Amino acid sequence: MITLTHFLVVSACIFCIGLYAVLAKKNAIMILVGIELMINAAILNFVAFGKYDQVNYGGQIFALFAIVLAAAAVAVGLAIVLNVYRHYKTINPDQIRELKD
Amino acid sequence: MNFSLDISPITTAFLTVVMPLLAFFYQALVGKKDQSGLVAIGAITVSFICGLFTFLSIWNTFPQTVEIDWFKIGNTTFTIGILLNNLTALMLLLVSTIAVPVHIYSKSYMHADTGVHRYWMYLSLFCFAMLGLVIMNNLLVMYVFWELVGFASYLLIGFWFTKDAAVQANKKAFLVNRIGDLGFLIGIAIVYSQFGTLNLVHLFETGGLLANTTIENGLWVSPHNSMPEIWLTIAGIAFFLGAMAKSAQFPLHVWLPDAMEGPTSVSSLIHAATMVAAGVFLMSTIFPLFNETVLLFIAIIGTLTAVTAAYFALAQYDIKKILAFSTISQLGYMMVGIGIGTWDAAMFHLLTHAFFKCLLFLCAGAVIHEMAHLKEHSQGDFDPQDVRNMGGLRTYMPKTFILMALASLALSGFPLTSGYLSKDSIIISAFEWASTKGMAFQIIPILLVLVSILTSFYIGRLIFKTFLGELRIQHLIGQHVHLKEAPKTMLWPMFFLGICCFFPLFSINPISYHDSWIMDGLLVAYPYETNHMAHIVIPILLTVGALSVWVLGWKWYAKGQYPLNENSFANHLSLHQGYLNQFNEKTIVSSMLWISKFAYWIDRNIVDGFIHLFTKIIQNFASLIDWLDKNIVDGIVNAVAKIAFALGNLARSAQNGKLQTYLYSVFLLVVVGLIYLLLR
Repeated sequence: MITLTHFLVVSACIFCIGLYAVLAKKNAIMILVGIELMINAAILNFVAFGKYDQVNYGGQIFALFAIVLAAAAVAVGLAIVLNVYRHYKTINPDQIRELKD
Repeated sequence: MNFSLDISPITTAFLTVVMPLLAFFYQALVGKKDQSGLVAIGAITVSFICGLFTFLSIWNTFPQTVEIDWFKIGNTTFTIGILLNNLTALMLLLVSTIAVPVHIYSKSYMHADTGVHRYWMYLSLFCFAMLGLVIMNNLLVMYVFWELVGFASYLLIGFWFTKDAAVQANKKAFLVNRIGDLGFLIGIAIVYSQFGTLNLVHLFETGGLLANTTIENGLWVSPHNSMPEIWLTIAGIAFFLGAMAKSAQFPLHVWLPDAMEGPTSVSSLIHAATMVAAGVFLMSTIFPLFNETVLLFIAIIGTLTAVTAAYFALAQYDIKKILAFSTISQLGYMMVGIGIGTWDAAMFHLLTHAFFKCLLFLCAGAVIHEMAHLKEHSQGDFDPQDVRNMGGLRTYMPKTFILMALASLALSGFPLTSGYLSKDSIIISAFEWASTKGMAFQIIPILLVLVSILTSFYIGRLIFKTFLGELRIQHLIGQHVHLKEAPKTMLWPMFFLGICCFFPLFSINPISYHDSWIMDGLLVAYPYETNHMAHIVIPILLTVGALSVWVLGWKWYAKGQYPLNENSFANHLSLHQGYLNQFNEKTIVSSMLWISKFAYWIDRNIVDGFIHLFTKIIQNFASLIDWLDKNIVDGIVNAVAKIAFALGNLARSAQNGKLQTYLYSVFLLVVVGLIYLLLR
């Protein structure tokens, strides 16, 4: 029997993998992938919690919104990565230090 | 007798002194260009004329003195000035009179020398110093000139400075004189502390400060101060020490024979009227200072000097050394004259001795001059001063022979010569003095008579060995010898001095010294009675004695029948001057050297060691401080700085401009916040 706890553990695992990717990857694309993973972990939670709202399907609706938002964010993120690449000729976030004073 | 016109004797006396100084400056400035010495001769001639004027206007009139302020210490003003009385005027005339023939003689004698310009310079300086010494009215200034005489003599004795012996001799003269100068200085100090003044007039005039001193209860009381009686004796002996060195009294006479390394004309001047006379002059000047003890001491030293020097003169081979010891011996006579209270007789002997001793040296110089020429011509290797090489010079140099024989007669005290008067005056006075004292004191006049006979003997030996017999050097060279009389410029001064060896210059009566105008002028009241027997017996004794030793000497030296063993101990003792130099070397010099080495060791090891130790301690302490400063003090400061730097660095590293780092920190913050919320 698959319980809510199993969903939450898988979600936490996915979130952690995503977090790790965001913090450690040397490639901006992979960072975007990490962000997607973290969003996916959140969506998974929404869907799992949706079981307890079978009247309005609040969880599923929220998940749909989140998927759309994630797609939009990735589009924006990819646009930024392309511009960054044009500017720095690299997408390694270690070598992009413009945030430093 | 006053025909000095309107010129003050003070002015002429001043001129007398200053002229040689001007000549000295001229030669010092012109240097090598002035080879002729004409300026020096001119200056000394002017000096002589001025000295004569001074003498004529001062002699047997009132003493004159003038002084100006020199410098001030506290409330005491030291003055510098001229004192002219019979004694100083006489000395002034004597020195300038002797200096003139010596200067003229030097012109020929030193003609060929390369350093002749130096010679004239030194000679002028020497004359200036001596003339100044004579007329100064203040013991301190007198001391200054006293030193200057010593210095000038140092220069003159070491004139041939390339000769090692001359350098050693002038050092010796200077050092021995330094001992005497110390005595003089101590004497001055005692007199100054007792009287508060050094003015000769105030001190020594009749009824002056010294006459007002008394001896009370073992105290020497003067109007200014009082001190234990012993200081009077010490002062007298201290002054006498000065005179002992300058006037070559035993045992400080050792410099005088060595001083023969200087040019002969210099020896002549130093020995006749100047440097060695300074001591006798000083003694005469400060005569009232001496008490009985000091006078006896002076008399004993004088006798000892006369006896030893006469003995040393017997076996010398160097013609100049014989004369040097003769001078020392005669100076001993003069000191005896002082010691027995008849300083006028001492001055009289000084005066007559000056002329004939000067002549003896000049004659010896003429002989040496010719012998040196002979050596140069024949290229032989012999000592031109050694009497063993001479002999028979009478035929080559008859005029020199006559003049030297004349001077020798005067030195021996032969009747009709000046030496007869002055030497007898001392010996007879000594007898009279001794007869008031007691039998033991008779030994002094008896020794003086003996010395007088010895004098005749050694001077006879000199004459016989030099001028009689046959020329010994001829065999050595083995060729015809060419010798001739000295040039006229040398002969004329000698001739002048020869005239001065006779009695009329000093006394009308050739027999009695009491008639001498010098004794009249100086006039000392003798504390003892005239002994008429002595006046008859002693001159006869001396003359007969002199004649007999001449006969003996003629047999020994002229005929070549020398009866004594040349290698006998007595002969060697005489030749080596009683081994006094060696004795000094062994005792004084080596002990001084030992003390010096010891002092050096102490200085090196103890004093320097202490200083080095101290330095080490300071150094170590300083390096400790340095270490503390570098490590502790700087360390704290640096540590603070390092901590601040590390903190800053830490804070800085968070802000590295990397996106992921920021994200990481946000994540950490969230985690921390979560943990905080959980654990709350």
